[in-house]
Amino acid sequence: MKEFTFLLSSPDGELFRGEVTMISLRGTEGSLAIMAGHIPFLTAVVPCDCTITLENGTEKVAELDGGLLTVSGTEATLLSSGVKWKE
Amino acid sequence: MGANTKQLRNRIKSVSSTLQLTKAMGLVASSKIRRANEAMTKGRQYADAVCQAMTMLTASSECQKSPYLQARDGDRVRLVVIAGDRGLAGGYNANIFRLLAALPKAEYIPIGKRACERFGKPIVSSEDFSAADARSLSKTLCEDFANGDYDRLGIVCTDYQSMLTQTAVVKWVLPFERPDDAPDLAGIVFEPDEQTILPVAVLEYVSGLLTAAVRESFASEVAARRMAMDSAGKNATQMIDELTLEYNRARQGAITQEITEIVAGSGE
Repeated sequence: MKEFTFLLSSPDGELFRGEVTMISLRGTEGSLAIMAGHIPFLTAVVPCDCTITLENGTEKVAELDGGLLTVSGTEATLLSSGVKWKE
Repeated sequence: MGANTKQLRNRIKSVSSTLQLTKAMGLVASSKIRRANEAMTKGRQYADAVCQAMTMLTASSECQKSPYLQARDGDRVRLVVIAGDRGLAGGYNANIFRLLAALPKAEYIPIGKRACERFGKPIVSSEDFSAADARSLSKTLCEDFANGDYDRLGIVCTDYQSMLTQTAVVKWVLPFERPDDAPDLAGIVFEPDEQTILPVAVLEYVSGLLTAAVRESFASEVAARRMAMDSAGKNATQMIDELTLEYNRARQGAITQEITEIVAGSGE
């Protein structure tokens, strides 16, 4: 699967930066997933679990208390001041 | 030896203990500098990213009508005042309060022990202020702003320019002012629409700026303390040198006088 750069940023630094194949989370309108080649996009994220699928297929899950997701070109950025890795 | 030398000895002792104290505080500050600077850089990066997202979002004319962007006529101002937890940091705290005195009257939300004590509010540490604290404070601030409880939100904090220079500044946060030179970003899809995203974006924006301001102020505090303790240490060393010289002179004077007295006594 094609990859794109994903950046998960919080005021305490970057929690994640790397190549991923897919991220899925919940927007105000319902669940959504972003894959490579997505159109430029900006949405509000509601409190949910954000699943990041890495190149090798492993998944990482972060707990979000809302945030902002921007997709531009080959990069997706998720800004959230309330985010932590799920145990 | 006379009373003079005893007095001098006591003074040297007391200045030495002050020197030790300033040295210790200076060392503690230096050990915190690197971590504080890293936290500051991270906070700044996040704040920049949120500002960029806000600029993108507010490009649409729909957003211009939102209460978060409309300048208001009222003069009810809320100021988040960020000062240090401790003194002995040169002019760090004083500069903040001096700047406050120059600003119009406002409702204050202090962060940092010194500021809290000044305004008689429960103590909130500026060193341990977490992103979660910033988020919960921002939630209240954003809700109150949307409800029209106040007209303008500012953050009084210290701008870290370098190790040597830090300036107290006020950063106006709400209503959001879109930079004039912002690029027009056509072709971005907003899901579902700008007005739904805006409140979420504003919350991230306020809490991002707040966290960044607290981190930057803390880095400034530590740097200011380091410099203050450095110069205090230098002054103490100089003082000890002068006092030691004076002490030795007095001691030598006393010995000479004693010898003179003995010689004079044996000559009879």
